[in-house]
Amino acid sequence: MKRLIAIVEDEPAIRDNYAAAFTREGYAVRTYSNRAQAISAFAARLPDLAIIDISLEEEPEGGFELCRRLRALSAELPIIFLTARDSELDAVSGLRLGADDFLTKDLSLPHLLARVNALFRRVDALRRPETPGEIMRRGPLTLDTERMQAQWDARVVLLSLTEFWIVHALARHPGHVRNRQQLMDAANVVLDDNTITSHVKRIRRKFQSVDPKFDAVQTVYGMGYRWVE
Amino acid sequence: MSLRLKLLLLGLATLILPWGGCQYAREMESALREGEQSSLQAVSQTIAASLQGRTDLLYREALAPPDAPEAPAVPVPPGADPVRAFLNPGPYDLKPLALTAAPLLDGYPDDWPHDPSAWAYFGKDDLHRFGILTGVYERMLYVLLEVRDEHPLFDAAGTNTLDPATFGDRVWLGFEDSGGEQHQVFLAATGPGSVTARRIETGEYGQQNAPIEPRIHGAWQLTGHGYRIELRVPMSMLGNGFGVLVDDRDARGVDPVSYGTLGSDDLHTLGRLIVAAPELASYLTQFMQPGLKLAVTTPSGRVLARADALAQVSGLGSDPPILARLYRRFVDRPGAQPLLESPAPIYDRDHRTLIGRLEVTQTATGWIRLRDHALMRMLNFTLSTSAVAVTAMFAFAAWLAVRLSRLRRASESALTRSGLVTSFPETDSRDELGDVARSFSTLLQRLNEYTSYLRTLAGKLAHEIRTPLTIVRSSLDNLESEQVPASARAYLTRARQGSERLSAILIAMGAATRVEEAIGSAERVGFDLVAVLESAVAAYRGAFPGRGFRAELPPGPLDLSGAPDLIVQMLDKLIDNAVDFSPPGALITVRLRVDPQVAAIEVENPGPPLPELLPGRLFESLWQSRTGTDSQPHFGLGLYIVRLIAEFHGGEASAANLADGSGVRVSVRIPR
Repeated sequence: MKRLIAIVEDEPAIRDNYAAAFTREGYAVRTYSNRAQAISAFAARLPDLAIIDISLEEEPEGGFELCRRLRALSAELPIIFLTARDSELDAVSGLRLGADDFLTKDLSLPHLLARVNALFRRVDALRRPETPGEIMRRGPLTLDTERMQAQWDARVVLLSLTEFWIVHALARHPGHVRNRQQLMDAANVVLDDNTITSHVKRIRRKFQSVDPKFDAVQTVYGMGYRWVE
Repeated sequence: MSLRLKLLLLGLATLILPWGGCQYAREMESALREGEQSSLQAVSQTIAASLQGRTDLLYREALAPPDAPEAPAVPVPPGADPVRAFLNPGPYDLKPLALTAAPLLDGYPDDWPHDPSAWAYFGKDDLHRFGILTGVYERMLYVLLEVRDEHPLFDAAGTNTLDPATFGDRVWLGFEDSGGEQHQVFLAATGPGSVTARRIETGEYGQQNAPIEPRIHGAWQLTGHGYRIELRVPMSMLGNGFGVLVDDRDARGVDPVSYGTLGSDDLHTLGRLIVAAPELASYLTQFMQPGLKLAVTTPSGRVLARADALAQVSGLGSDPPILARLYRRFVDRPGAQPLLESPAPIYDRDHRTLIGRLEVTQTATGWIRLRDHALMRMLNFTLSTSAVAVTAMFAFAAWLAVRLSRLRRASESALTRSGLVTSFPETDSRDELGDVARSFSTLLQRLNEYTSYLRTLAGKLAHEIRTPLTIVRSSLDNLESEQVPASARAYLTRARQGSERLSAILIAMGAATRVEEAIGSAERVGFDLVAVLESAVAAYRGAFPGRGFRAELPPGPLDLSGAPDLIVQMLDKLIDNAVDFSPPGALITVRLRVDPQVAAIEVENPGPPLPELLPGRLFESLWQSRTGTDSQPHFGLGLYIVRLIAEFHGGEASAANLADGSGVRVSVRIPR
C-alpha cells in the first residue's frame, strides 16, 4: 500500500510541483489549500506524513494551528514545515509544536525527498523496537541512524531531523572540524551561517537539558565545529 | 556672534534709559534755573523798588546832618546836590571800595583787593604823582597811598615836629566834618613803621603845637619807587569832603612840591568821599538768606555795600557722594554758571534818574542739590533697571543657548546614529523652540520609519521572492525527471544555475535581519579574543588562498565578555570586505590593539581609498559605495552587520584611509 502524503499549501504551483514529485516517487498524495479543508480530510483519514505551510490563504499562522491539531490526533505522525518564512522565531515555534523538521522553501526537491524518505525510515524503525538498527557510539552518545534517535547517557535527546544529521556528521569523525557547508550537505539543507549557528546552539541546549555539563560540540572560530570526546 | 552676545548687546540698549534720564535732568536743570532766575529777578526788583528814591540810604552824603532842620532852607546849588554829585563825580572825588575785611595796618598792600580800576591817581607830572585806594569796612575808612618819589625823605629825628628844618616828605589829610567844617592833619615819619597823624593847633597865646590825632592810625613803608602809607580813619570823623596833599621835599627844610586833592593854599578839600550810608549794609542784611549775595553799586558799577551769604549754604563745602559726583560729570554742561545773577536798576523818585544798581547773586547750590537728588534717584533707578534687564537678557540668552545646544546635540546624535529616536529634548516646551523640536522630532521619526523600512525591505523582499523562486526550482526539479531532450539540457542547467544565484541573493538579502535576530537572542559568555582571532585568521588563510593574511596579536589572552560567534561573524564581514576591495595577492592585516579600556580590532587592506562621505555612513544599512571585484551580490549590509555586532558589544566601528593612502583600515573598538 502506498504511503499517503498530505500537502497543505496555498500556492497551487508549488503544491502541484511537490505533488508531482512525490507521486513520481511512488507516494499517494493529497493536497489541500487551507486549514479547514485539511482538518476535515484528516478527521476522515490521517495521512502517513504531512507537509505544511505556515501561512494558509487568509490565516498567516494557520499552519501552526493545523500542526497542533494534527499532533493532537497522532503523536507519531511525521510533520514537516515547509515555508517561505525563515525567521528563527518561526523555526522555534514550529519545532516546539512537535514538527519533525522546519524547512525553507528554497530547498530542492531531491533534498526534500531525501528527508521524507528518512522520516519514513524512522517511523518504520520505531515500529520495530525489537530490532536494533545501525548504532553509532561515541562515549556517552548513542546514535541510532535507523530510528534517527540520539541518546546521551542512555537518555533520549529529542532532535529534529536536521539536528540529528548535524550531530551525526559531527560525531562520525570526532576531532575533525566540519565546516558549515559540510554540515549543510549532511543535513540536506541550504542554510546561511546564522541558521547553522542557531541549529548548533539548539543542539547544545537539548543535550545540556539532559546533561548540564555537556561540552562535546566545540566551535572552531572561522572554520566550523567539531565533536570532542 | 553668538546669541548670548547679541542679546547682551540688546540689553545694553536699555542704557538709553539713564541717558534719557540725564537729558531730562539737564532739561529740568535749565527749567529750574529759569525759574530761579525769574524769582531772583522778582526779588531783586522788589529790593530795588524798596530802595527807590532812598538816596539817603544809598549814599552817606545824602544823610541829613544832625542839625538838618534848617538844611532845606539853605539853597543848594544843583552841583552840590549830593545825589547829583554821585551821578556826576568830580575829578577829585574818591570812591571807597566796600571792603570785605579790614586790612592790617602794616604799610603793605597784600590784604587789599586787587582792583586796578579802583585806584585814583593825582599828581603834577610823572615824577610827582601818587595813587590812592580807599575802602570802607565797618565804619572805618581805609586809605592806601602809593607815592612816587625819587628821593623819599623822612623827617629828621628831632623833637619839634613844627620846626621847618626838620621837615621831610609829609602828607596832609584834609576833611570836612559832618558839620561842614574843614580839618587838616599831617603825617610825618622819622622812619618806616607805624605813623601817627598830628593836628596843628594854635594855642591861647598864639603858640602852635601839634597834638597827635589818636583816632587815625597808619603805617609808612618805603617802596622801590617811593613810599606807601596805609591809614585808617573812622567814618564818624568825616563828612563829605576828603582829600590828600603830598609835600615832596628832596632835602630837609626846603620848600616842598605840593600836589594832591586839597587846595594848596588853604588846604580845603576839593573832592568828596562817595561812600555808602552806614545803614545800607544793615538794610541789605534784612533781605539776606543763605546762598544769596546782595550788592548795591553806584550807577558806574562801584560797589557801595554788599551783604554776602553765599558761603552760608550748608553742605556747599562738603563733598557730594562719589556717585553723585560721577553722575554730575555726565550731566553738567561744561562752563555752566554755578551762580545766578540778577541786576536791577535803582531809580530816584522821578523813576528816571539812576541812582544805583542792585546786583543779586544766588548760588546754584540749591537747585544743583535738588537736581542731584533727582538725578541720583533717577539714575539709580534706571541703572538698576538696566542692570536687571541686561542680567535677565543674559540669563535668558544663556538658557536659550543651552536649550539650543541641547537640541543641536540631540539632532546631531540622532542623525549620526540613525537609531530609533525615542525621545527628543524640548518637545514639551510650549514656545517656538518646542515647535522646532517637535517638528524636528517628527522629521526624525519619519526618517527613522523610512530607514527602518529600507532596512527591512531586503528581508521582506527576500521573503516575497522566495515563493516564486520555489515554484521555479520545484518546476526545474520536476523537469529533470521528465524526458528532456539532450539539446534542451543545457537550458535546464542554466535555468538551475540562475535560480541558485537567485537563492544566494535571497540569503544575502536576509542576512541583516537574521543577524539582528541572532543579536536579539545572543548570550554573553567570557571568551579569549586573541584565541578567537588566531583561529579565525588561520581559517581565512584556507578560505582565501588568493590573499595573504598577517595577524598582529598580543601574546597573552584577552578575556572579553560577549558573543564569540558574533565576533567571528563580524570578522567574516570585515575580511569579506577587505578581500573584495584588495587586489589578488594582497596582504591583509588583522591587528588587535589593547588599551586599558578598549580592545581595538583592526583590519587593513591595500586597495582603493574610501570615498569622501559623512563619517559613519559607511556603516549604515544598504549603503554601497564601492564596486567590488567579484560577482558576489552586495547589498551594503556587510559593514552594517559589523556595526550591529560592534554596538551589541558596546563598541563602535569606524573606517579610515591609511596614512599613506595605500589602503583602508576598518577598526572596531570594544570596551573591555
